[in-house]
Amino acid sequence: MKFARKRDILIIAAVAVAGLLLWAVLRGAFAQPGVYAEIYYQSKLVETVALETGAEESFSIEELPKVVFHRYADGSIAFLESDCPDKVCIHAGRLRQVGQMAACLPNEVYMKIVGAIADPDAPDLVIG
Amino acid sequence: MDEKPLGKKPKAAGAKRIALLGILFALAMVLSIVEGFIPVPVPVPGVRLGLANIVVMFALLQLGRRDALGLTLLKAGFVAVTRGAMAGALSLAGGSLAFCVMALVLALAKDKTSYLLLSVSGAVFHNIGQILMASLILGTFLWPYFPVLLLSGIATGFATSVLLKLTAPALQRLHLK
Repeated sequence: MKFARKRDILIIAAVAVAGLLLWAVLRGAFAQPGVYAEIYYQSKLVETVALETGAEESFSIEELPKVVFHRYADGSIAFLESDCPDKVCIHAGRLRQVGQMAACLPNEVYMKIVGAIADPDAPDLVIG
Repeated sequence: MDEKPLGKKPKAAGAKRIALLGILFALAMVLSIVEGFIPVPVPVPGVRLGLANIVVMFALLQLGRRDALGLTLLKAGFVAVTRGAMAGALSLAGGSLAFCVMALVLALAKDKTSYLLLSVSGAVFHNIGQILMASLILGTFLWPYFPVLLLSGIATGFATSVLLKLTAPALQRLHLK
């Protein structure tokens, strides 16, 4: 078997370009500063954290006292400490934009940044 | 591989085959441990260089689907035992998807494909399988990670294809014939 063939290189290059475009679109289109951070434990929303308060604070959710979040004065939030073995959640760094997520799989917790919370009673879509 | 044409050769006798598979499994385990020390600068959980994929690819090319699948499952079991059930589940999902895709690529285009494409598809779909499993565990579809998975899969796939090309002669000498 050959190491590389021209057609394969083209396929891979096309996929790489698609990947870069996708990444740019996700970063660009959704680059709004987050308003709230939603923290989910075992798939249920357990905490909604306002991000624009300008106050720095470390906190945990009551289900996981060993996992510490930190909200920064500039409106970003991050996993600060965790008792998981890999610390991937901490390495995710500070989240700021709508749509960004960080997860701690062993602890079954993740958080994501959202914009203004939609009114649950309002219709999802209005036509006409 | 280029050195010896891949024909249908009779499988090595039972004991030899088990010995060979044992060596390959040991190799996969060592690679799995060693690559854990090499940080991959990607903000996605569980993305690694995928060095053990070299062993699975070699098995697919030289031994057959059944042995390659066996190695994939054994590797997932090893990860589960050493790094926990979560990591094991991710390895199982990633490894199985990567195996299916690589086997499919070989079934469809064995004479027309290359180490590079095989390796990249294995790496990319290993990442995709892992993220799908993580999504399942967390209960939310982790779609923002996909572009990063594509790109890092291409990079790690390239690295492992180079390594496969370099180590193929040595691996072939393992055939104990």
